This record gives sequence, structure tokens and C-alpha cells, in this order.
Amino acid sequence: MNILGVSAHYHDSAAALVVDGVPVAAVQEERFSRRKNDASFPLAAIEWCLDHAGLAPENLDAVVFYERPLLKFERILTSALRAFPKGRGAFAHGMKNALGEKTWVRGNICAHLGVPGRKVLFTQHHQSHAAAAFLTAPSDAAAIVTADGVGEWATLSVGRGERRGGAVEMSLLREVRYPHSLGLLYSTFTEYLGFAVNEGEYKVMGLAAYGRPTFAAEVRRLVSRTKDGAFALDLGFFDYHVSVAHSYSRKFLELFGPPRGRYDPIDLETDEGRRFADIAASVQLVLEEVLLDLATALARETGLPDLCLGGGVALNGVANSRILAETGFERLLVPPAPGDAGCALGAALYADRLHFKNPDREAVDHPFLGPSVDPAELVRLGREDDYPVEMLDERALIAHTVQDLQAGRIVGWMDGCMELGPRALGHRSILAAPHDAAMRDRLNRDIKYREEFRPFAPVVPIEAAADYFELPPGGARLGRYMSGVFKVKAKHRKRLAAVTHVDGTARVQVLERAMEPRLHALLTAYGRASGLPVLLNTSFNLAGEPIVNKVAEGYSTFRRCGMDVLVAGGARMLKPALATAELKEAYA
Amino acid sequence: MTSPLHRLVWSDPGRRARILLRFADVEADGGRDLVRAAEATSDPILRRLFLRHAADEQHHAAMFRTRAVELLGRDGNRDPAPASEWLAEGERGLDDLNVEDEREPNLLAFLHLSEKAAEKAFRTYASILERDPGTREVFQAIVRDEAFHMTYTLKQLNRLEPERSGWLIWRARLRRLWRAYLRLAGAIGAVFGAIVLSLEYFVVLPLFALFARRAAQAEPLGWRPVDDARARDLGRQY
Repeated sequence: MNILGVSAHYHDSAAALVVDGVPVAAVQEERFSRRKNDASFPLAAIEWCLDHAGLAPENLDAVVFYERPLLKFERILTSALRAFPKGRGAFAHGMKNALGEKTWVRGNICAHLGVPGRKVLFTQHHQSHAAAAFLTAPSDAAAIVTADGVGEWATLSVGRGERRGGAVEMSLLREVRYPHSLGLLYSTFTEYLGFAVNEGEYKVMGLAAYGRPTFAAEVRRLVSRTKDGAFALDLGFFDYHVSVAHSYSRKFLELFGPPRGRYDPIDLETDEGRRFADIAASVQLVLEEVLLDLATALARETGLPDLCLGGGVALNGVANSRILAETGFERLLVPPAPGDAGCALGAALYADRLHFKNPDREAVDHPFLGPSVDPAELVRLGREDDYPVEMLDERALIAHTVQDLQAGRIVGWMDGCMELGPRALGHRSILAAPHDAAMRDRLNRDIKYREEFRPFAPVVPIEAAADYFELPPGGARLGRYMSGVFKVKAKHRKRLAAVTHVDGTARVQVLERAMEPRLHALLTAYGRASGLPVLLNTSFNLAGEPIVNKVAEGYSTFRRCGMDVLVAGGARMLKPALATAELKEAYA
Repeated sequence: MTSPLHRLVWSDPGRRARILLRFADVEADGGRDLVRAAEATSDPILRRLFLRHAADEQHHAAMFRTRAVELLGRDGNRDPAPASEWLAEGERGLDDLNVEDEREPNLLAFLHLSEKAAEKAFRTYASILERDPGTREVFQAIVRDEAFHMTYTLKQLNRLEPERSGWLIWRARLRRLWRAYLRLAGAIGAVFGAIVLSLEYFVVLPLFALFARRAAQAEPLGWRPVDDARARDLGRQY
């Protein structure tokens, strides 16, 4: 049975293909269109998925859209009516938006793919998140929490899933509904702190480490707990449900003071800069408190050892680590793409297991479901442009790369199939030595062009992870997809300065050899050479651009920034000046 | 040629900053499109030139943004609303060109005209900004780059299509006109749409709004049960 999952129209559209119960392809549209967080209908992603599997649209048994468009439309319309007369702008904006394309999803899919309407199915948004979290997790029974800004009506839901003798049972039990939303609470502060909503939430989390939660009492005024253990927002502090201009209200500004302008620098030496950092720390703390309470109650209620967490809020690594450590769950399983892109996969898997009731298959426990790299392409480009490039065997490639990293060079690393999700986990990565803060500053200045308060992540082999990081039980699993933030052991912080955040933590990727053998070999060899089997691993892209997909994109990125070496499969390319220096050194 | 309208548009530092920020976005978008063009081409000469051009656009974006932020700091307006699309003319990136689907000669013709229009517009702005030497210097520096971009695109077009370059430029000109018309029509349509929807909101919907508000007041806070049967019916869009 061939099932295509599609997510689109809000942010980060994607397609995923499940063939006979096994995910064989999944990719975000932005990786083809090269528009970051591209929300348009993912036609290129769908075409690639079908081509990859050798299928035509008529071979599809079902196309599953990740949410219910008319239910979402109902929420948009109802919210605008509830906000009368202040909701005029939201109404006009919402209607123009929804009635253009977003509401007619079945017709659009039929028109684009030529499949009959009866083959087009719809999961609910949080059902897709839950399926992406549970049906890709190696767990027989797990509690499930999904949390994001908003789907149709739900903003947070809890449920449970179980695998029994090849059959799968999964259901959501209860939900919190719009406008009460932890995701929108965090996004409101994201906007207030001058960052782009749906993009700058990482920055709030990074900034939080520089502050103290001195505004926690104020933030708690915004979020109250309901008697049944859920939460509710005091909507007087928010405007996102009545206006398209701002998420926060005048009352919010009276409580927290003037917002940061989008173009104002954050200077942590000033009172204003510290105020923003303190506010970031406060909202982070309150988010953690609410999530911890919800997860603790769910752990008691279900008595299950595993928690599967999905939705955009699951990208908050600091909160994830506390959930793992403090709620009673033994394992916290966060998929590599917990956001809307992963919903394409979740929707397809849900339809396969629960709608068509096909037998369960072993979870595909890796994110490498995208297009693969072609090293010959890099060789061709290098030869055409007079850039020094060579094909190396595995051993030579690892040896040269270790030398490069030890020499302080920054390496673009493209290998195998691209990751699904926002994190580069070793197939589309920029690697560098993690030892000193100067490397972090150089990466921020010459490659990533981003704020200095944002940390870089380390990658470490699972065998050595506990030597360098304070991993709680279950920490290695949470670190598999860089979903947790853990303390760097104090004695190693100085030598891991480029990847240690100001609070002594790191968002570490814990790598198992079976998941990515070549990167594992590189880490081991680097450990032998330097005494420290840890590398800095950040996504292979420039600011404002999606992660690179094809070799040509890696090559153009390599040429446009201060990267020194580019590796694509077995091909290794140097910047011409570096190659000349290497040659001189060899013959000196 | 400068017009009183240009002087009016550029007279206010806050508005000037907003326009510069929009220019910065347009230049950055154009830079990304050129990177796509460089990635898509199999012609090494074009690849090198497109990458150089993309770097220039990124540099221009940074110059515009830096200057805008300086003006904003001086103006005390820290978080500007975006400028309306029709307030300032000038380069418009590659007008949402689908770079991968374009033949290279078409792309070069389009780029040539785009750069030519930008060079002319930026020269005009520089000439009327005598009271703002900082912004004027930014435009003057960028105009020099635009002249190079105009030249190389024409040369490469003549290299690839020596016989048809004139016709391709004319075709690109018509296409720009068509896109300008579409932009204008889109803007007018958006205004009419907003008026009609606002009328609908205030005339047709108040009664429904009343019901919706009453229903909202009756809704309990906290957990709500999920209707499992409804959730499992994947045929529903609602």
C-alpha cells in the first residue's frame, strides 16, 4: 500500500511517502524551493518522493493531508466573530488567506496529482503530531503529549499509544483549545523580544540562558492553572486572537515595558539588554513549569515509562531535559521533525496503521529520508571552476578531515540522504573543532551571520557521551536527535568552549554508530588525534537560507562564506588559497 | 529626472528608513535568486558572475539595513511598520522569477533590465538626498555596482544569443510591464477586497458575532475531551 502524507499552508510544508508501512521518503519543500520555511503546496517534495520510490500518482492508495482545513476555517471565522468589532483586520486577513487556497485542499490535491477525491484523507493536526511522535518511536506503549501554537482548535493534547502483536492503538484523550496556547504564549514573547515568530523561538531559548527569571511572577499572571490540571491564558494580555498586527496587548506592555525593536542590537552589558534576557528566562521557566506539571500528571495517570512528545514546543530542548529528569518518565522520545514538516510523515503513518489497519512495522529510527548527495557533482564543479577537488577513499577522507579540523578549519559535510526536520544530524552539517570560543565567534561572524548569544551544538559518540556530558538516564536517547540540553562536565568546559553555552549546558547530539557510521568514524578518529571525540555540529546553511540539499547548493554556500573545506560523499574540496598553502607545506 | 514626489517620499527620515529596509529585503531576495541561478547553470562563466553578483546583492542589503538602522536610531522610531509596496520604486529583486525554469538568455535579459532600472532609480535618489550624505553615499556606492551588473548581463546575453539579444530584451521589457500591471492590479484588488470584507464584517456578521461571543462565554476553560470517533474518520474535512 502506497500512502503519501502532505503538510502545507502554514509553515514548513513537506511530503512523506510510506510504502507497505515503511517510510521510504520524506522531505520539506523548502529544501527544493530554497525559501526558508516555505509553506506552499509541496509539489517539488511530492514529485521527489514519488520519483524516489518509482511511483506515479495513480499508484497511490491514499493522499493524507495533515489537518482538517474546514475545521481550521471554522476556528479562524469564529475567532474573528468573537473579537467583534476589533476583529475586522483578522477577519479580512483570515478570509483572504483561507478562501484563496487553504480551504480547498481536496480539490487542490486532486488537481495537482490527478488522484480521485475519495483517495484524499484528512487527519487532525494534533493527531498527525502524535502519530509522528509515537509511530516513529521505538516504544511498545507510551503516553503522548503534543503542543504547538495551534492546529485546527487544539493547541495541546494528551493521549496514549500502544503496539500489541502487530496492531497499533493510538488515541488522543483530551485537549486544550485555542486561544489558550503554550506555543502562542512563547511566540508572543518571541515577537516582544524583536524576533520573527515561528523562526526566532530558538533565539528566545538561547537568550534565556543569559538572564535570571526575575519576571517569572509577571509571566505567571499571564498563565493560570485550571482546576482540572490544564492551563488558561489571561487573554487581556494578548492580541493574537483579535488582531494580525501584534500578538501582545497594551496591558502586556504595561506589565513588561517597551518591546525590543527588530533592529535593535541586544547588548547584555546594558540594563535594557539584561531586561530582555531576564524576560526570556522568565517565559522559559514558566513554560517549563506548566509542561512539567502536565507531564507529571500524565506519568501518574498512565503509569507508562515512555513519553512521546510532538509539536513545535518539543523543539525546546531545555524544557525537554527537565521533563525527562523531573516527571517520572524513563524515556522522552522526540522525533527529528516534531514540527509541522513531520506531520506529513505522521499523517501517512496514522492512515496506514489506524485507518487501513495495516500491520505495524519496526520504526525507522533515523531522520535520513531525503535526497542523497552525488560526489561526482562536486568533482565536476571543482574542475569547471578550478577549485581543487579530489576523490578519496574512506580512510583517507577521514584522515584528511581530522587534519583539517585539528588545523582549525571549518568543514562543510554532506553525506548520504538529507535529514527530515530542522536539525542537521550529520548528513548536511558544518563541522568544526569545539575547543575554543574563537571558533564559535568565527562561525557566527563568517558563516552563520547570527547573534553572538546563540550557542552551537556538539556531537559525540554514544560510547563517550557520559564522559563529557551529564546525561541523566534516558539522556542519550533524548540526545539522539539533539532534542535535549545537558550540562557539560565542569572539567571539560574549557576544552569545549565553542559548544558550551553561558550556563554550562550544550544541546548535544549523541551519535550511535549504526545511525551514521561515517560521522561516528570521524569522531572516533578525531578523538584519537585530539584526545576529545567531540565536534561542533551546526546546520549547513547561511542565515535566512534553508539547509542545503544538493551538492550544487553546498558548493555555492561553500563559496559564499568563510568555510575552508567541503566534503560531499568521498569528494573533498578546498578553498584555492588553502590548497596552495597545503601544497607549499607538503613540498617545504 | 527628479520629481517633487521623490523629494516628498524621501524627506522624512522615518519613511526613508522604512524604504531602505524594504530595499534591503529586496536586495537580499535578489541575492538568493542569483545564488539559485548560479546553482542551476552549467556554464562556469555565468556561475562565477552570478555568485559575484549575489555577493554584491547581499552586501547591498547589509548597507541598506545598516543605514536604515542608523536613521531609525536617530529618529527614535525603533520598530517601523513595513513600507507600502507602491511608495518607492527601484529594483524589485528578480520579480519572483522562477530561476530554475528560466532559460539563461531570458534570465540575463531580465536581469539586465532590472539592474538598469535600479541604477537609474538609485542615481535619482542619490541626487535628491543632499541633506542626508550618509544615505546618499550608500546609493552612490551601490550605483557603481549596478553599472557593472548592467554591463556583464548584457555582455553575457550577447555571448549566448548574439542574434536575438535585442528581441530578448524587448520581451523582458514587456514582461516587466506585465508584472508591474499585475502588482498594481493585485494592490487594487487587495484594497477592494479589504473594503468588501470590512463591509461584510460590520453589516452581515454582527448577529453571528453576538452568538459567537455568547458561545465563547459558555465554553469551559481547561481540558476538553477529544471526540475519538470523529477524529478517526479520515474522510472528513471538518
